[in-house]
Amino acid sequence: QASSMVAAGLALAAAGFADHRVLCNSAPIVDLHVLLQAFGGGYYRGGFEPKMTKREAALVLGVSPTANKMKIREAHRKLMILNHPDRGGSPYLAAKINEAKDLMDDQVKKSS
Amino acid sequence: MAKYLAQIIVMGAQVVGRAFARALQQEYAASQAAARARGRSGQQSAAASSLTGMSLQEAQQILNISTLSPEEIQKKYEHLFKVNDKSVGGSFYLQSKVVRAKERLEEELNIQSKDPNQQSQNTET
Repeated sequence: QASSMVAAGLALAAAGFADHRVLCNSAPIVDLHVLLQAFGGGYYRGGFEPKMTKREAALVLGVSPTANKMKIREAHRKLMILNHPDRGGSPYLAAKINEAKDLMDDQVKKSS
Repeated sequence: MAKYLAQIIVMGAQVVGRAFARALQQEYAASQAAARARGRSGQQSAAASSLTGMSLQEAQQILNISTLSPEEIQKKYEHLFKVNDKSVGGSFYLQSKVVRAKERLEEELNIQSKDPNQQSQNTET
């Protein structure tokens, strides 16, 4: 029935309008953000999440959600050098980078 | 079978739609109440925060600015955008937040410039 397809599509659109992350949370075959970056766009919308999730932590550090301890540490170190508050970086962003590392380290501990 | 599935989807959409509408209504009522205390530009500011998903306070924290001056915004933005660029090994997600913070702050400047009576307020959540 075409009408049920329309209803399903509208529901999905409404959910996406409310929070586009609903659409991005399932593992996509093609990462939309990666695709849009190629066109000089695709910036993530909104602020940081009220409480950092593992997914956001991985995005902050620019690593895979299943990154190992070494990769996490390398990414954290690199980003802290770039964003160091003593060198004009933002303390808030530095705190987020630290928070992301702690969260991912906890995840690695839980799964090992 | 397909007919029942369709009915479930439609019902689900209705539930989502109703909850969404109710949430919007509550959010609007809350922002109206808050805005009444702060005046028109406060209302617009709250609306901008809601629409962009970024509060004025967070935007200021991200760019690490204290005063809403175009010069300071631009200076902080350019530095943070540059150091978080992918070409130097930065995080695209962080760079995105820097971009959104600048957009939110510029929107705030825009709102304030339209209200000649408005003093610069940094009390919004």
